[in-house]
Amino acid sequence: MNAGMNLESAPHGMPTGYAGQAATKPPNWHGYVVLDALLNNLSTGLFLVAGIAELVRPAAFSGLARVAYPIALLFLIGDLVCLVLDLGDPLRFHHMLRVWKPNSPMSLGTWCLTAYAAFLTGLTLVSLWPDSGGGLEWLRRLLILLGLVPAAGAAVYKGVLFSTTAQPGWRDARWLGGYFSCSALGAGTGQLLLLAILTGRPEATAALRLALFLILVLLLVALVLLLAELRESLSRVHRAGYLAIIGAVTIFVGVLLPLGLLALGAPRALVAAVLLAIAGAGAVRYEIVRLPHLLVEASGRREPLARAKS
Amino acid sequence: MPGLGASFGRGAATNYQQDLAHSDCVLFMGSNMAEAHPVAFRWPMKAKSQGATLIHVDPRFTRTSALCDVYVGIRSGSDIAFLGGLVNYVLTHDRWFKEYVLHYTNAATIVKEGFRDTEDLDGLFSGYHGNGRTGHYHAMEGGWGYAGSPGSEPEVGGDGSPIYQMHRQALGMHGHSLDAGPKAHPGQRQSMTICQEADPPWDPTLGHPHCVFQILKRHFARYTPEMVSEVCGCTPEELVRVAELLCSNSGRERTSAVVYALGWTQHTTGVQMIRTAAILQLLLGNMGRPGGGIMAMRGHSTIQGSTDIATLYDSLPGYLPQPTADEAHERLQSYVEQEAHCSGYWANFREFIVSLLKAWYGDAATSENDFGFSWIPRPDGDYSHLPYFVRMLNDGVKGYLLFGQNPAGGSPNARLHRAALRKLDWLVVADWFQIESSVFWKDDPQGPPPSDIKTEVFFLPAAAAQEKDGSLTNTQRMLQWHDKALDPLGDSRSDAWYLYNLGKRLKQLYAGSTDPRDQPLLNLTWDYEFDEPPRLPDGSLSRIEGEPDIEKVLMEINGYRLDQMDPRTSRPRLLSGFSELKDDGTTACGCWIYSGVYPEPGRNRARDRKRTANPIQPDWGYAWPHNRRILYNRASADPEGRPWSDRKKLVWWDAAQRRWIGPDEPDFEPEKPPDYRPPAGAMGMDAIAGDHPFIMKPDGVGWLFAPGSIRDGPLPTHYEPVESPVENLIYPDQSTNPTVRFFEGSLNRVDHTPTSTYPVVATTYRLTEHYLSGPMSRFNSWLNELQPEMFVELSPELAAERGIEHGGWLTVESARGRIEARAMVTRRLRPRRIEGQIVHQIGLPFHWAFAGEVVGANANDLTSLVADPNVSMHEVKAFACQVYPGRRDGAEPKPTVPPAPWPTRERTPDTPDAAQPEGLFRAPGGEAER
Amino acid sequence: MTISEKAVTARPAGRDSEAPRVGPSLLERVVGPFRRGEPPEPRQATGFYTDTTVCIGCKACEVACKQWNQLPADGFEWTGNSYDNTGELSATSWRHVKFVEQLGGDGTEVAHPDRWLMMSDVCKHCVAAPCQHACPTGAIIHNEFGNVYIQPDICNGCAYCIAACPFGVITRATLDGHAHKCTLCYDRQRDGLVPACAKACPTESIQFGPIEELRERARQRVEVLHQRGVNDAYLYGDVPGASYSELNSFYLLVDRPSVYGLPEEPFNPWLAMKGDYVRAVLALLVSIAVLLAALFLQGR
Ligand SMILES: Nc1nc2c(c(=O)[nH]1)N[C@H]1C(S)=C(S)[C@@H](COP(=O)(O)OP(=O)(O)OC[C@H]3O[C@@H](n4cnc5c(=O)[nH]c(N)nc54)[C@H](O)[C@@H]3O)O[C@H]1N2
Ligand SMILES: Nc1nc2c(c(=O)[nH]1)N[C@H]1C(S)=C(S)[C@@H](COP(=O)(O)OP(=O)(O)OC[C@H]3O[C@@H](n4cnc5c(=O)[nH]c(N)nc54)[C@H](O)[C@@H]3O)O[C@H]1N2
Ligand code: SF4
Ligand code: SF4
Ligand code: SF4
Ligand code: SF4
Ligand code: SF4
Ligand SMILES: [Mo]
Repeated sequence: MNAGMNLESAPHGMPTGYAGQAATKPPNWHGYVVLDALLNNLSTGLFLVAGIAELVRPAAFSGLARVAYPIALLFLIGDLVCLVLDLGDPLRFHHMLRVWKPNSPMSLGTWCLTAYAAFLTGLTLVSLWPDSGGGLEWLRRLLILLGLVPAAGAAVYKGVLFSTTAQPGWRDARWLGGYFSCSALGAGTGQLLLLAILTGRPEATAALRLALFLILVLLLVALVLLLAELRESLSRVHRAGYLAIIGAVTIFVGVLLPLGLLALGAPRALVAAVLLAIAGAGAVRYEIVRLPHLLVEASGRREPLARAKS
Repeated sequence: MPGLGASFGRGAATNYQQDLAHSDCVLFMGSNMAEAHPVAFRWPMKAKSQGATLIHVDPRFTRTSALCDVYVGIRSGSDIAFLGGLVNYVLTHDRWFKEYVLHYTNAATIVKEGFRDTEDLDGLFSGYHGNGRTGHYHAMEGGWGYAGSPGSEPEVGGDGSPIYQMHRQALGMHGHSLDAGPKAHPGQRQSMTICQEADPPWDPTLGHPHCVFQILKRHFARYTPEMVSEVCGCTPEELVRVAELLCSNSGRERTSAVVYALGWTQHTTGVQMIRTAAILQLLLGNMGRPGGGIMAMRGHSTIQGSTDIATLYDSLPGYLPQPTADEAHERLQSYVEQEAHCSGYWANFREFIVSLLKAWYGDAATSENDFGFSWIPRPDGDYSHLPYFVRMLNDGVKGYLLFGQNPAGGSPNARLHRAALRKLDWLVVADWFQIESSVFWKDDPQGPPPSDIKTEVFFLPAAAAQEKDGSLTNTQRMLQWHDKALDPLGDSRSDAWYLYNLGKRLKQLYAGSTDPRDQPLLNLTWDYEFDEPPRLPDGSLSRIEGEPDIEKVLMEINGYRLDQMDPRTSRPRLLSGFSELKDDGTTACGCWIYSGVYPEPGRNRARDRKRTANPIQPDWGYAWPHNRRILYNRASADPEGRPWSDRKKLVWWDAAQRRWIGPDEPDFEPEKPPDYRPPAGAMGMDAIAGDHPFIMKPDGVGWLFAPGSIRDGPLPTHYEPVESPVENLIYPDQSTNPTVRFFEGSLNRVDHTPTSTYPVVATTYRLTEHYLSGPMSRFNSWLNELQPEMFVELSPELAAERGIEHGGWLTVESARGRIEARAMVTRRLRPRRIEGQIVHQIGLPFHWAFAGEVVGANANDLTSLVADPNVSMHEVKAFACQVYPGRRDGAEPKPTVPPAPWPTRERTPDTPDAAQPEGLFRAPGGEAER
Repeated sequence: MTISEKAVTARPAGRDSEAPRVGPSLLERVVGPFRRGEPPEPRQATGFYTDTTVCIGCKACEVACKQWNQLPADGFEWTGNSYDNTGELSATSWRHVKFVEQLGGDGTEVAHPDRWLMMSDVCKHCVAAPCQHACPTGAIIHNEFGNVYIQPDICNGCAYCIAACPFGVITRATLDGHAHKCTLCYDRQRDGLVPACAKACPTESIQFGPIEELRERARQRVEVLHQRGVNDAYLYGDVPGASYSELNSFYLLVDRPSVYGLPEEPFNPWLAMKGDYVRAVLALLVSIAVLLAALFLQGR
């Protein structure tokens, strides 16, 4: 009952009209999109880092990379499943490919993901080929090179898609894209670091540990910039206590703690650092995706589909 | 609408809706036009866009108020005080239209010495018999007549006493009531205006203490701005502002219109509210002129038509009084003598009634048998709606045919109505839906179990307007024909089909009977068969058998010249208009005022839809009488026949052609010059002078003072509603209308004024989104979603006082019952300071009841059954109640039908995808075209 | 009480039958969307000018829209927000009449005489429409009349347009998962008819026509209102703003936009997109640089 009015703001909760209510409607983006935002970065990040590492230091990394690509592919598949299922009409996913609209982040992103998926699949197949060390090496190199561009695009577009909307919160988050691409690289580095540890590659581990450390520092900057932009919106929908928790989880657990653990350097610490960093990234995405929904509710208007539309 | 009938001669809106666009100022009072007549409201909006001022006076700030320049809030039932204040202002500030008032009203006429005003008798007029709460006036005794009119005469008719028919005619106009036989008002059987002799004595200086003008001045002297503000709860400044606006927008160059509806009529003083407006408009000289007049915004489609054609028990078609079980009405001759005027148009009375009898009884009606006059049934009492249901409640009625009405939901004190229906042996309901009145025996949450109800209910599915031919007469007396577009669904049939075939079977049943009492039925002309099988617009044959040819009914209503054959049809020639009527049985006419609507074969003027350069649009539909769009339009010219002003010219005397000309049909004898003066002893229209525009009146002028034609007094007086928390400030000794009729009983308690048990004033009204008691809207999801639930509007002050939360529940209780609804707390309602005390007012829409897709509490379970003396009108616009927070009974009626499904999920056959309705959403994964 | 999914999709016996509808072939579904017809010749741009000062809140526009487009009711919910029980624009309500009570009394004073503002809201048919920029399937187009139209056979329900619209016009219908909104009666316009809502409007609050004529008429109306002392009258969306294009469905208002639930200054998100890309790419490159640095520095 009482949709469209907010009882407190007038004597006896008289009709209050529309002033102060968010004019926008939040999109129907929920869990799938949180997952997608994470899987996208895990996959693209892992591929980018593994690819670059293999290209610049084949000796140290190609072995590791071969293990990484299939994993990136698995994450990518998971991501695509989320994307399709999130559509109102999943059987029409391919309609995305009717048009090439770089002006629409979602169109650009879809094309990037598609191209990336194609190269990554090829790459994975070739990599799994018995003795691809020999004659097929050039092909692998080529596929990596080709894959890097769309992968980068796929990593970059996500945040820009969110910030290129009319949604309260998102629309003020100029650094959302920056945070996401940075976080993608971080997630990639972290995953590769894990693999290096698990497969016992001290040399790679050392390099990746340093890389992750430095990227996390960058990420800290991006995150702080982002939270600064979102602080006002967040504080409108969350009590101080919860804001503190968000800060703690995203900044401390997601970045500072990992940094510390990385500094420690013990393998267990490194593993923990990576997992925490990824958890932190997940938390950020969760808060971001639900932000406009909360803001609209808080503004006194209820979500459109909460009413029995059709 | 006797208020208008008594003042001007015809009880119908004087102008047409589109004419409101020509007004310089419009006063909406007792009408919520933007909500109840939204489409017509475009015309006042046009006026506004051209700079006119719109004023709304209403207890609530409504969607109409929102669009008006000035809004004044008053307490329900205080309108006569407000209007009286306006009249008083016009008189005391000398703002009345001298020339107009002098020539076109009875201001100068001198009234009998014996007349005593409420001023002299503390709120009563002379001639009262009763206990102050209920009773009647003996108008003759009270001397309500013009000086010089005949004094008391024996109780036989014989004198062509105009007053009586004017009284009747006035009633006929809105119909409803003819009190328990004429005997109840012997006084009104006498003549009150001059007849046969010369004009009544009059004083052009208006100085004579007993001339109407002086009586008027004295009568309204009490209605000062201060007094008005005390009674109505507005400020004195607000009254003065409205008065000033009306005065400055009236006169030669400018005209103001008054628009009213139920906010006036639905009171025990409603007729007098309208009378006050009539007096105001006459004084300001706004009658009979473009952009002026009084618009009664009527209700149901063709409610005007149903009064014209006399669905009302006390009048015959064309407002001829229904003959009653009373010796004066036994023979045609004495009936005519009694009912005809000697002067004015009603002098042709005999032509109207004889032609009607010929239309009904055809060849069986001869001069020898009084044209079958004796076959017309004679009511012996009040058979109007409310008293009828009281009779039903007292087991006075066995069976009932209910066509197109929902008394179980929409009638005042609906609970009483339901109880009455339960007393019937059988009930036939012809309707579109299973309404409260057809499911009361099983779905009424307050009713006894079905097993305890003996009433047998038969339901006849009724066809909708689109499924039948016919005409609708709208609020401006305009007939508009509609052609059948398609056959009715399944077993449903038009109302005409049911009645026509019922009639045919009854005639068969009584065929050959010689019993005199069967003759009316056997002699009835009943021949409306189609000449060839009817077709639908697409040319295909209609599926329906036995449908009567309604156009033939319209031809009968228009009338025939029986002694002349039309070669084209080899049928009697159709009449060109009522001027052709004869009283010797050579003409037949089913309703004289409609005569002319079908002037020749194949020319149904109600079907006309031609736009012309003429702003009056005379070729769009057909308005009675004689396609005149503005009544009394002779008054749009000055006494010499010249337009009052170029800006407001309508009909004027063309000396060259020696006739009245102009865009509208003159509502006057077209060739009677302005300077015509009736010779002594002139009769009929000859008795009307060339400068007397109100031709339906025996003296040809508008009646500021109504000599006896209205049952509760010749002048309007403010009385409180029968249920009011406050006393009558204006006449402390007489709080309510002394002639109201009550039907008190356990089911119909009235808590008489002043009530302290029920201190809150309640009123009921409409919302744009719903229609009446709801059958025509509460079965429609598109409307229900717009106003899904019953609510009550109340002010924040009252809410705070009673601890009622906006959006929460509240309980409203009256002497009749208790309902629960959602609280709409809004400043659109205001507490009012009345006589120094704060009086709260609440508002209840009356659209909800227990049958339909959405259901809810029924405001009419609170309203009472009382009757004003003139038209037996109830008082649902002002009654007393008490409000509590929360719910008491928690009774929750369940919808009787499920919500409508998605309008259509099926693709329209043989239609390209691009042309399918956009709302026909394709199922997920649906096809892709283009 | 609200209509349940079931109630809405269920058909009563006798009415339209439950005939199983054979969907198009798989192939058709796959290739269909890629087929392109000839785009129709551009026509004179049309739109709406809504003069809220003459709206009587009769909701005829809402009903006419639902009737013409055969849209379902949204459920029977009494909101208590004045006479507005529609609540908002949505996939199944393409017109929404808003009611704003501005009456003084018990303490609160209002600057103007008591008012009850009414306004029939609808898609603004933005000249530069964020929803159209956003649409990744190309379902949203500016049709030959310059109106923003969602091709119902193309939309796949990604909901980006919903997120992009600054006016909260679009939602996704649960029934088909597609986005829907006012079509500006594209079908009627092609047949030379006035949109259903404008046709139904008794007071000409909704005026339809060639957009330039409408803008001219609207400006004159504002003039007149100012002369009559209605000084707060102004046009919303008749000309491009600093951060938003002009609207092909624009309004005459007498109070701040937010009072009517409209954004004070609509902002086209695409103005910020390039910058956001730059930051995102920058962040990526810097991260990569850092990565490379680490790869070279460590363990050589
Ligand atoms: N949408 C819609 N339109 C309708 C109808 C409908 O049901 N729905 N019904 C049709 C019918 S049958 C009719 S008769 C007409 C009726 O048309 P209206 O008479 O205009 O409609 P109401 O709402 O009954 O009453 C009008 C106004 O009278 C006010 N009022 C109440 N008491 C008083 C009073 O004592 N004095 C004054 N001055 N005002 C008072 C009410 O607040 C209300 O705003 O509408 C017709 N049109
Ligand atoms: N409290 C309160 N009560 C009021 C009023 C008020 O203002 N306040 N207003 C009063 C007024 S003005 C009026 S007019 C009455 C109206 O009261 P009613 O005359 O009872 O009007 P409805 O409730 O609409 O019932 C009309 C019925 O006719 C049916 N119908 C429609 N068309 C046809 C047809 O062609 N043929 C047949 N056979 N049936 C048809 C409809 O389905 C509906 O069931 O209500 C009165 N009651
Ligand atoms: S319902 Fe009919 S009569 Fe009433 S306003 Fe609409 S068009 Fe006029
Ligand atoms: S108002 Fe919203 S939906 Fe309409 S065109 Fe503009 S952006 Fe698109
Ligand atoms: S939901 Fe449909 S219309 Fe909206 S952007 Fe996605 S594909 Fe385009
Ligand atoms: S233009 Fe057509 S679709 Fe748009 S609101 Fe009006 S009626 Fe509905
Ligand atoms: S139809 Fe016109 S007047 Fe009625 S609500 Fe819609 S816009 Fe306002
Ligand atoms: Mo009515």
